[in-house]
Amino acid sequence: MAQFVCRYRKGDELRWISHLDVKRTLERALRRAGLPLALTQGHNPHPKLSFGPPLPLGATSDVELFALHVTEAMDADQVKQRLNEQLPAGLQVTEVWSLPAYRKKETFGNIDLAGYEVALTDSIGREDLQRRVDQLLASPQLIVHRGGERPERTVDLRPLIHRLEVVEGDDGLVLRMRLRTGSHGGARPQEVIALLGLDEHEHVKRYHRTELSTRPSEDRRPGAARGKRWRRQRR
Amino acid sequence: MQISQFEALLARVNKPARYIDGEWNAVHKDWEAARVRLALLYPDVYEVGMSHLGLQILYHVVNSHPDYLAERCYAPWTDMEAELRRAGAPLTSLESRRPLSDFDVIGITLPYELTYTNALNMLDLAGIPPRAADRTDDHPLVIGGGPGAANPEPMADFFDAILVGEGEEALLEILEASHGGRAEALARLAAIPGVYVPSRYQYSPAGAGPVGAVTPVNGAQCPITRRYVADLDAAPFPTRQLVPYLDTVHSRVTLEIMRGCARGCRFCQAGAFYRPRRERKLDTLLRQAEEAVAATGFDEISLLAFTSVDHSQIEELVTGLTRRLGARGVGVALPSLRADAFSVAIANQIRQVRKSGLTFAPEAGTDRLRAVLRKQMSEEELFAAADAAFSSGWFRLKLYFMIGLPTETEEDVEAIADLVQRLLAFGRGALGPRRGRLQISVSVAGFVPKPHTPFQWMGQDETEALAEKQRLLQQTLRARAVKLSWTDPAVSALEAAISRGDRRLGAVIHRAWQLGAKFDSWGEHFQFALWEQAFSECGLRLSDYANQDLPLDAALAWDHIACGLGKSALRAEAERALGRGEA
Repeated sequence: MAQFVCRYRKGDELRWISHLDVKRTLERALRRAGLPLALTQGHNPHPKLSFGPPLPLGATSDVELFALHVTEAMDADQVKQRLNEQLPAGLQVTEVWSLPAYRKKETFGNIDLAGYEVALTDSIGREDLQRRVDQLLASPQLIVHRGGERPERTVDLRPLIHRLEVVEGDDGLVLRMRLRTGSHGGARPQEVIALLGLDEHEHVKRYHRTELSTRPSEDRRPGAARGKRWRRQRR
Repeated sequence: MQISQFEALLARVNKPARYIDGEWNAVHKDWEAARVRLALLYPDVYEVGMSHLGLQILYHVVNSHPDYLAERCYAPWTDMEAELRRAGAPLTSLESRRPLSDFDVIGITLPYELTYTNALNMLDLAGIPPRAADRTDDHPLVIGGGPGAANPEPMADFFDAILVGEGEEALLEILEASHGGRAEALARLAAIPGVYVPSRYQYSPAGAGPVGAVTPVNGAQCPITRRYVADLDAAPFPTRQLVPYLDTVHSRVTLEIMRGCARGCRFCQAGAFYRPRRERKLDTLLRQAEEAVAATGFDEISLLAFTSVDHSQIEELVTGLTRRLGARGVGVALPSLRADAFSVAIANQIRQVRKSGLTFAPEAGTDRLRAVLRKQMSEEELFAAADAAFSSGWFRLKLYFMIGLPTETEEDVEAIADLVQRLLAFGRGALGPRRGRLQISVSVAGFVPKPHTPFQWMGQDETEALAEKQRLLQQTLRARAVKLSWTDPAVSALEAAISRGDRRLGAVIHRAWQLGAKFDSWGEHFQFALWEQAFSECGLRLSDYANQDLPLDAALAWDHIACGLGKSALRAEAERALGRGEA
């Protein structure tokens, strides 16, 4: 039994398929690749796979993650090559590494930061954009209402925005942001765009994820993450 | 259309993955190198159309030929339609994203009556006039096929040609004929056996409803005889099946093990349209299953047939498939079972079925009425099947019934409720301490008379009578363990009217579409009022088509289509059904 973690990119071709669609697509590609996948027990066995934080629909990314278990020893390059042969244009595994045998199932639970580059159309000027960014960052609170969630709730996004800056890209202005993500609460890049008073359809060309990482431990509230994890195991 | 413009539309619609290209096993051929380019249209949303095996067979057959190219297009959902119309952008194919009007031939499959307005809507979205008479040499040829061809008359106005029968048998001949000017192409098409070119026939109505004869105008073939594949085992079968990104109705390998059915139920049009019953051999099926699983990566394989357990080697097939594929986590599904202990024994071999429970179709509540239908299933067999199911660990049964059947009385309807109650009591006894998990789903649809069946002459119950019978069942089947679902009687009425429609219904379908009818099979979109208005504006009555008993000796609007049994055999069957209620 060996566990591998794969980093993959989601390109333009498939930016309109959802996180669930990506899961299905990878699962089928793994089966086509004929890798000796470890299956779950039970009446309806399926491959043991786990996935990093979902990517918003419409976004591209270079840094997505998933983990798989195989029943025979293999080397990481072999996994990468065989899988890539079976992936459609728009999904590509860029890096595979194996985890040591003592590691439990990778769940990516410690990932809590996501970086994005949001390419903007030319319908907004640099100064105007910078003013909006400064104003947003100066706000002590940024309360948003999430009507789509059950139960409906309000969230303060300000502490979840770790970085927000305007840079000049190859093809117009780019908003570079680093946001909290994960099961302990996160901000979505679309929410930041809305907070800046921008319209997705008019002002945004492309969302692109550039980073998935873990905050340094001193930034975290002591015990918080551990408490959550304990509760999840109990369920 | 500019790609970026299309991308902008995708950002505004629900489930944009319906409209993107590049599913695994999709075929991209060189546009310029193809002699004839075919766009295959399915008149319903992507998730439904992608689950349709027929279209995949044709896609495979055409793209396997060096001279031809086939691309696909599914009906855009209403949000996408609104975006396309707002942007003034034409409907395009998935693969090359070219406007449909760039293709030489548009092939539209007609799976059932309630998709017909979508077919018109798709042509309109492509900038192609829906009526054949309004099209010129600048437009593609529009060719229809599928089960709807059993009675092509309601759609005759909209098609240049309609193939009666199985597409893989004649499609290449059709493409070969589809070049040059419209008039010459139609002349060549009209000479292909099984191809109906409506403009070369005329209809002489002989009263209200579908009574009258369609006759050739100048020597066109008559009758038009259904084409079918003689050797199913050798027929082309796509193992590189398309792998959708979205969760579609059936996201799995579909293995067609058998085509046609020899049971001869008197209400069943598919039984007539797909005669005779043909099988693929065990070795062929095991090979195709292996290939398809390897080429798709699906985790389930479904054995397609009208009644899969009627296959002569079904036991060996199921054993072979579970042995070869089970260890890889690939399950086998049997969507169609008979109600008998043998079927349950077969299903027992398949772990996967456990999730969904077992489905049986008694169709009627009494043995007498089942004899009228020639449905070969006795109550005794049903209880034996239920016994086998409960004792081998199933908790859920699903039962299909029809109401409004010929010779049906109130007792027959009450007997449905009684039968379900007795199955419930039986199940509680059989399951003992686990009886709390017992669930019986009962699905009740109104009987729809279909052309080319012995019941084609028999009018459907009036909508109010169907609704009354439904209410009776709703009142008597109130147990917590019973889940009752039914078809809207208005939907059944429309289905019956179009199913037994004549050429005059073309105007009604066109008007209903103009008034906004589309996705009629979707409860949230079906608007019966639009259809009532369309019928009345065209000076026709729906009840003349749906509810009228037709005279046994009259010419009918679909008599020029020869499929299945001949008319005298059908008449004899009808008389047997009505006269004595015996098989």
